[in-house]
Amino acid sequence: MIEEGKFGVQETVWLMVSTIVTKVFYTSPAQVASLVGNVSWYMTLISTATAILGFTFIYLLLKRFPGWDIATIMKDTLGGFFGFVFSIALALYLLFLATNTLSEFTEVAKAYVFLLTPSSFIIGIFVVGILVMCILGLETQARFAKLAAYTMLTGFVLVLILGTENYDINRLFPILGYGADKILITGLARSSVYGEIVILAVIAPSLQGTYFVKKAGYISLILSGLLISLSVLAYSLSFPYYVAQEIVAPMYEMAELIDYGRFVQRVEPIFLFIWFFSSFISITALFYCFVSLYCKIFRIQDIRPIALGSALILFVSALFNMDLGVGAVQRIQNIRQYGWIPPFILPLIALIVGMLRKRGVRSHE
Amino acid sequence: MNSRLIPILMTVILAVLLAGCYDASEVDDITHVLAMGIDRGVSDKWRLTVQFSTIQDSPGGGEGGDGGGGGSGQSQGDYTHMTVDAPSFFAGLDMLNSSIPRELSFTHLGLIAISEDLAREGLMADFIAPLIRYKQIRGSTPLMVIKGSALDFIRENKPYIGTVLSKAMQISTRASMNIGFFGHTTLGDFYSDLKSTYRQPVVPIGALNDFKTFREDGPKWGDKYKDEGEYLAGQLPRYGVRKIEYWGTALFSGEKMLTELNGTETRALLMLRGEFKRGFFTVQDPKKPELIIPLDIRPKGKPKVRMSFKDGIPNIDITVPLKGTILAIQSGLHYEQDPLLSLLEKTFEKETKSEIDQLINKCKGLNLDVFKFGDVGARYFATIQEWEKYNWNSKFKDAKINTQVEFVIQRTGTRTKTSPIPNRQEE
Repeated sequence: MIEEGKFGVQETVWLMVSTIVTKVFYTSPAQVASLVGNVSWYMTLISTATAILGFTFIYLLLKRFPGWDIATIMKDTLGGFFGFVFSIALALYLLFLATNTLSEFTEVAKAYVFLLTPSSFIIGIFVVGILVMCILGLETQARFAKLAAYTMLTGFVLVLILGTENYDINRLFPILGYGADKILITGLARSSVYGEIVILAVIAPSLQGTYFVKKAGYISLILSGLLISLSVLAYSLSFPYYVAQEIVAPMYEMAELIDYGRFVQRVEPIFLFIWFFSSFISITALFYCFVSLYCKIFRIQDIRPIALGSALILFVSALFNMDLGVGAVQRIQNIRQYGWIPPFILPLIALIVGMLRKRGVRSHE
Repeated sequence: MNSRLIPILMTVILAVLLAGCYDASEVDDITHVLAMGIDRGVSDKWRLTVQFSTIQDSPGGGEGGDGGGGGSGQSQGDYTHMTVDAPSFFAGLDMLNSSIPRELSFTHLGLIAISEDLAREGLMADFIAPLIRYKQIRGSTPLMVIKGSALDFIRENKPYIGTVLSKAMQISTRASMNIGFFGHTTLGDFYSDLKSTYRQPVVPIGALNDFKTFREDGPKWGDKYKDEGEYLAGQLPRYGVRKIEYWGTALFSGEKMLTELNGTETRALLMLRGEFKRGFFTVQDPKKPELIIPLDIRPKGKPKVRMSFKDGIPNIDITVPLKGTILAIQSGLHYEQDPLLSLLEKTFEKETKSEIDQLINKCKGLNLDVFKFGDVGARYFATIQEWEKYNWNSKFKDAKINTQVEFVIQRTGTRTKTSPIPNRQEE
């Protein structure tokens, strides 16, 4: 069994929040603005509620198998073959998320900050950092996430406060954006934004028990929902809907617009700090969970050689994604419309089958 | 190998790699463009003028004169400018970079000056709006419409006080906060308003004053009263070294400049938009019209806009709250207390309301909502589709608008009363 260490609810919450919220710094807010207009800030709360419901299935599944990870649970409930297929699907989903997040990070970094730096260099450096963190282990990642969270939160709040000079409450109207139906449909589909919560099912054995998984999961989702809603509200107040949907990274441009005369301006480095750190934590967590899940599926005890090989896959696939050109980001967004299926539906199926087959706590008692 | 050695080794490699990144630019490899002017070109579509520091100490500092001549570059003391006719901004940039021994950088651009003829022909959207995509130019860069040639404007753009042009430009463009005779529009504001379904764009005007309106000789003025805000940009009766003046506002219908506002109209515009910060106003003394009472006026809050719709026509009630300080009382009458205090407040309210109403009528005639009323109008529509179908910008001409000015004198300056001058000869 892989030794992943033990950590508490706070570490887990910050690891999850950083992993989930980082998307708000990329192209997602603009994409959502083009779907629902100026109402993304409350649309995301529908997504949060949907994700909470989805997580409840994950929690109920974990509750039936205290101290087990998702790969073992899948095998037990669905049998060897289907358990393997479902676990591999979930692992690939995590790798897919890591790859897309890394590509999107690189895309936005190249658009705003590293205009001349080759994609391979940015991705390469990032992958080396991720590999280092993977070798250091899950506990280190969780503790690092908690340590970075305080600084990131301070910077985040600072950017939101400084941005108030550009806020205009009228930009939130018409209050239903492109229509209530679109808000509801997009809100439900975009629960995929919170899909990373499935990581908890992978790292569950590292927590002190199922109760703590439940606590960490719900707090993470609520906190992530609030932070995403707050960020999106800030940029909805800063840009009218017809401009917001054009911008590659609205949060970055919002920080760029902060200008208090000759005293306070050009504060986007604060934003860059938050952006880079949260991206790093997010991609590392996703990548680590992929490697961890892979090792658990194939009962591999040493994670390091798998991490090294997987890092190469991550590097190449992220680079390949970048080479797809300007359409890549659009494709990623389209795929996100269906991204809620692997994290919420696969555990739900496992839960239903487990209940029907009476697997879990009762059968093992 | 020790398991801890690998991460340490990787961290060291990472630190070394991060230190030499591709996007690094040495400070002396680039030159920062401080101002950019755009005119219609002769040899090509656009005439692009860029002004930058020569990074040389000259004895005259910023007061250095023009080199003269029709060359593409001319000296302005510590600063210089270069001009090129090009098919696009980016083509012009490469053409200029081919003759400058540094790379031009726009990250510290302090002003974008557009010639008036370009604005009136509706070409600003073609040239200016796409610049928002360019990473180096910030959305917070101030934008100005220039009467006459932008090239001539850049030629005259010198610090005059001190030697730092960037600071001089920043102070000048932000002076609107203290005087209110011109506003502050950024590239981001213009881009947003250009595409807006809520309102039309406005841009402050800059001009070169040739000092011809300043007459040294002639009959003396006497006791007639003239509002200082009635002047247009470039026509202030002044004389001095600096020809540049910022005054008034250009009103746009979409991408096309339609008309120009004078100083008084601009103040009324800023008050209605909630952007007026401060200004000295001159009021005719209600009791002695040949004399004046200067007031220091500030907003007492944001304008309160209430709206209703009847048969699809918007009815707008707007209240502009203002507060003021008495700066001087030429007549020596006791305006610090009632009943004269109330009289002075009512007089100012009446005058300001009249100016506001005139401006609104002028804009309604042109069907231009430059007052941000549409921002409030959008509250009355549930969805964006309904709002866009209503087409606010086409309905504004029919709007019924009632204005109200609420003014209070909060302070009387450093004097609580004015004692009469003894033995003063009354005419």
